[in-house]
Amino acid sequence: MRDSIRRISVLTRRNLKEILRDPLSLIFTIALPLFLEILFYLIFHKMTAQFEMRYLAPGIVGFAQAFLTLFAGLLISQDRNTAFLTRLYVSRARSHEFIFGYVAALLPIAFTQSILFFLVGGILEPQIISVGMIWGVLISLVTSLFYIGAGILVGSLANEKAVGGLSSIVISGQSILSGMWFPADGLGKGILIAMKTLPFKNATLLVQNCFLGVESATVDFLFPLLILLGYTVGVTVWAILAFRKKMKGE
Amino acid sequence: MTAIELNNLRKEYKDVVAVNDLSFTVEEGELFSLLGVNGAGKTTTIKMLSTLISPTGGDATILGKSLRNEAQEIKGLIDVSTQETAVARKLTVEENIEFYAALNGLSDEEIRERKAEAYRVFGLDTVAKKQASKLSGGWQRKLSIALALVCRPRILFLDEPTLGLDVLARRELWRAITSLKGKMTIILTTHYMEEAEALSDRIGIMDRGRLLFVGTKEELYARSGKTNVEDAFVEIVMGGDVHA
Repeated sequence: MRDSIRRISVLTRRNLKEILRDPLSLIFTIALPLFLEILFYLIFHKMTAQFEMRYLAPGIVGFAQAFLTLFAGLLISQDRNTAFLTRLYVSRARSHEFIFGYVAALLPIAFTQSILFFLVGGILEPQIISVGMIWGVLISLVTSLFYIGAGILVGSLANEKAVGGLSSIVISGQSILSGMWFPADGLGKGILIAMKTLPFKNATLLVQNCFLGVESATVDFLFPLLILLGYTVGVTVWAILAFRKKMKGE
Repeated sequence: MTAIELNNLRKEYKDVVAVNDLSFTVEEGELFSLLGVNGAGKTTTIKMLSTLISPTGGDATILGKSLRNEAQEIKGLIDVSTQETAVARKLTVEENIEFYAALNGLSDEEIRERKAEAYRVFGLDTVAKKQASKLSGGWQRKLSIALALVCRPRILFLDEPTLGLDVLARRELWRAITSLKGKMTIILTTHYMEEAEALSDRIGIMDRGRLLFVGTKEELYARSGKTNVEDAFVEIVMGGDVHA
């Protein structure tokens, strides 16, 4: 057990260094969402409630997390492409330790995103500062696991070129179906069902509801949480199986 | 003592037999070269012996441990340098060595010692602070092989270690590999016949998944009636089954 934790810690430190030394990852996971948060707030917050900071900040957290899929996927597919993972497969590390190493390296980035976007939101609109921010940050760590799991799955299945395309499905899905960029009222029934049953809107709702407070713990917290956890567990199990299959060279 | 013993080791992919009931032994401390044209089954054999893929038939023992039943135990005894360069691109040379040594459970003192050894054998100290992605192909390959040695494996698999390197970088690597002879068992695959000639204690020749010859250079010359490895290789592969 102690050896396993040590190996996960070594893998985590290496993965974190690889991600932090890639300027593109910092631009897409931090700089771009931050720029959009400030821009959309300054332009639109007086025109539509959608872009008031109480909705915008948690929405941006969800949007930024979708890029974790891209960077987890890229990191793993590049490791596979350069045979670096093949080398590591010969070490004593096991498949679940590799997966935990990737997850643990991306969680601090998810945490930084969340803190930063709430903090900037609080600076631009001080009345949103509340204890709810802490709950928003904490639940965002849970929601990030879905996007990280999706990235590990994509990176295990696809090569470097295909990772961009597959991740863009997740990023587009988050942008369109999370309901953060436009109001859901008036959308077709099919889209509304997709929003309710897919993970994107539920992830955004969880962060938003934990931040703003809930009217009904069951409807506003438990249901979205269960749906999201279902997807997270499904994606993670699939990712572990896909990764293990690659490890065995099948 | 026998380091590796293959007993009818076999790998099939759907209707293709990549490795066909291979049987031979390698003694501890030997440098054994596996030669063959593309698709002969060399890399598949190395991948099976280094636990990266599972055999579909037969078995092999690595230092007495069964490939089929004790793969996890074997991992602590071997290391591999693949055809492709296998380094962490955005880590420096020094960080790569530290990372790989720590992953394999070496103490801080051991890591310092092995780092110094890798610097000395491969001359990596001059590029220690450079990111791996910024090194030339030759330096990356040296780092890749140095990583395989960090944990002092008892058996080292080198799959075409000098592929794509220029003649000077290749000779430098030969020097490094020669310095390891006798200290560990080395299984080398290569397309370069002069490499096998310069480095090997014994040679195995594979073709279409089967072993056509295994023996020393002298035995190879005697069997083929030739006086160098390249001519002997062509004679054996083109001439059919010649067993030592």
